[in-house]
Amino acid sequence: MQTAHKHAGGGHDHKAAPTVEEITDFEVLEIAVRELAIEHGLFTAQDHRRFTEWAESVGPAAGSRLVAKAWTDPGFKARLLDDGVNACKEIGIDWAEPTGFGTPSDYMNFRVLEDTPRLHHVIVCTLCSCYPRPVLGMSPEWYRSTNYRRRLVRWPREVLAEFGLILPPEVEIRVEDSNQKCRFMVLPVRPSGTDNWTEEELAAIVTRDCMIGVALPRRGRTADVHPVRKARRPVHSSPQHGKAAE
Amino acid sequence: MKDKKTSKAPEKTDNAPARFKAGDRVRVKDLPNMFYSRTQMYARGVSGTIAARTYQDLIPEDEAFNRDGRLEQYYIVRFRQKDLWQEYPSEKDTLQTEFPDRWLEPV
Repeated sequence: MQTAHKHAGGGHDHKAAPTVEEITDFEVLEIAVRELAIEHGLFTAQDHRRFTEWAESVGPAAGSRLVAKAWTDPGFKARLLDDGVNACKEIGIDWAEPTGFGTPSDYMNFRVLEDTPRLHHVIVCTLCSCYPRPVLGMSPEWYRSTNYRRRLVRWPREVLAEFGLILPPEVEIRVEDSNQKCRFMVLPVRPSGTDNWTEEELAAIVTRDCMIGVALPRRGRTADVHPVRKARRPVHSSPQHGKAAE
Repeated sequence: MKDKKTSKAPEKTDNAPARFKAGDRVRVKDLPNMFYSRTQMYARGVSGTIAARTYQDLIPEDEAFNRDGRLEQYYIVRFRQKDLWQEYPSEKDTLQTEFPDRWLEPV
């Protein structure tokens, strides 16, 4: 309320609040180790920046291509399900890049989970943030949130419904909690009405969320837009409301 | 899946033999945490089925402290959601997650 805004000396000596960057202990640790490594010449600051920019530039396009190719080429689908890391090489994705043994924490164990009309997969990492980064890029913020992580294993149907995905009870939901060294991606069911589509047209409807398993591909859906619902009991700030509180 | 050992190779190579195969019934042991664990509490003491043998690697308890222990077989285990969460409403739904050999015992 404005009543709290009194100035004893009559002057107006507000200082801008300092901008405080929230930083976790782990981030402090990362900076310390990184600076030590640079000091000791293990890599240069420029190497670090180049790697960070490379890692951030990886998006989910490779995953979309894997799915589209698997939908149109049964031989490729069989190879993808049998040995994900090797099949990725066919579309130019090498899980060993850029170090020869993969990016840190992206181990070279990639398994593709095939959906059927009766089985739906969804991935999570309850420990932290395991995610198939070489094919999907960086994970979305919500994927790493404790809310998603702790609730998806416990109440998958309810969490999927919050994403707008309501599955009938006869469909088995299989949660894949990837918290060791396998990385997973969902191969969704090809939607009907896409029979004569090219690989490029198919890839366009296979969005990141479809490969995490919180959405299904369908004609015309080419972006991950989550439903925004009105709050049931919104906080009003009408004048009446303010008076009642005084 | 073929074994794909990728990170630094440990010095010791007295690998533990794989005790289980796909389809075997196993229970997740409830061992004390030795400073670090990746075995989730929600799975401890619960029985499931081996869905796949994956790779051999160090166990997280060793790797977290940069200790070169032996390599162990990892498995993906499939649980019924109903077995993990008593009041889970659907009989059908399942959950899969991964464990190294020592955290599993035959049922």
